[in-house]
Amino acid sequence: MSRELRLMMPTTPVVEIDDRQLVQTIREGDADAFETLVRRKTTKVYALCYRIIGNAEDAKDISQLVFLKLWENLEKYDAAYAFDTWLYRMVTNVAIDFMRNKQSRDNAVNSTLRLVKTEADAEQGVVVQRKEVENVFNDVSSVLSPKQKTIFIMNQMEDLPSAEIAKILGCRESTVRNHLFNARKAMQQQLQKRYPEYAQLWRSR
Amino acid sequence: MMNCEIFRSTFHADTENAALLAHLRTCDRCLDHAASIDPDVMFRALGGDDLVPPGGIELFVDDVMRQVRVRDTEKKVTAIRHRPVSWTRRLAIAATLATAVTSASLVYRHNSAIPSTMMTGIKRAAIATHPAELVTKPVVATYESESATIVEMPNEQNDDNVKIVMIFDENLPADL
Repeated sequence: MSRELRLMMPTTPVVEIDDRQLVQTIREGDADAFETLVRRKTTKVYALCYRIIGNAEDAKDISQLVFLKLWENLEKYDAAYAFDTWLYRMVTNVAIDFMRNKQSRDNAVNSTLRLVKTEADAEQGVVVQRKEVENVFNDVSSVLSPKQKTIFIMNQMEDLPSAEIAKILGCRESTVRNHLFNARKAMQQQLQKRYPEYAQLWRSR
Repeated sequence: MMNCEIFRSTFHADTENAALLAHLRTCDRCLDHAASIDPDVMFRALGGDDLVPPGGIELFVDDVMRQVRVRDTEKKVTAIRHRPVSWTRRLAIAATLATAVTSASLVYRHNSAIPSTMMTGIKRAAIATHPAELVTKPVVATYESESATIVEMPNEQNDDNVKIVMIFDENLPADL
C-alpha cells in the first residue's frame, strides 16, 4: 500500500541549475556548489588542456590550476557573458602560458615520435585510427605556436566557430581565421615531411 | 540513435552535424570511412568530452577542493595577520609599555642613589664568593694619575720587554 502511494506521489523533478546560477550560489558562500561546478566542468577543462599540452600529467596539473584560479577570480565573472566562454579563456591563458614556458625549455629537443606501421597496413594503405591520429597530431602540431595550436584545437576538436574563439581569446575573428590558415599550412608541411601517407589523407585548405 | 549504418549513409564532407561528429569520435571504422570522403575530418576525430584525468574525476575533484580549502585557510590567516589593531588593544599595549619604562627608570634611580662605598662592598662580596689564587708579581715601575694607575711588570718569557697593566679605577683594592 505504502509502495503504491509512494509511486503515485509526484516526484520532485531533478532540475540541474545552470552555470550562472551555480556561480551565484558559490558567490553567496556555498563551497559545495563549487564542488558541483568542478565536477561538471572537469572533462571539458581537462580535455582542452590535454589537447593543447599533449601530456596527461601536465594537463591534470594545469586543469587543477585553472580551477584554483577560477575559485579566486569568481568575483570577476560577468554574468552577461556565457560562463563557458569565460572558463575557456582562463583555460587557454593558463595552457598557453605553460606551453610558452615549456617551449623555451625544450627548444632544442625535437620530437622523434614516428608512427610504426605493420606490413599489413602498408599493403592495405593507411587505416586511420584514432590513437594513431592522436600520435600524428601531437607530433606535427609541435611546430605550431601555442596560440595557433589552441585555435586549431578549439575549432577542429571543440567545434567552436571562429567568432566564439575570437571572444574567448579577446581578438578579432579575422585574426582567428589567419591563425587557422597558418596552422593548417604548417601542419600540412609537417605531414608531408614526416608522414607522407597521412598527408594524402589530410588537406590544407 | 546514431549507428555505423546511419553514419555512413548520412556523412558528407564539411559536415557540422554534432551527432555525426560525436559518432566519428568514438568509432575507428567510421573514421576510416569518413577520412576517405573528407580528409579534413582526420583531426576532428580527436575531439569530444570523453577525456578523464588520470586517477578519475572523483580524485581530481577531491584534489581541487583540498587545494581550495588550503588556499582559503591561508587567506584567512593572512587577513588575521594584517587586521588593524583595535583601539582597546592599542591602549593596553601603550599602558604596558609605559609601566615597563617607568619601572625601569625607578629601578635605575634607586641603584644610583646607593652610596659608592656600599657598591664597593657589594663588588667585594661578589669577588669573595669566587676566590682566585692571588700571585704577587714584581713591579718594574708604577705611574699614577687621577683616574688610572699604570703598572709595568716583567714579561713572563723573561726577556727584556715589559708587560703593561692599566688599572682605571682608583677604588679598587690596592692588593689586586
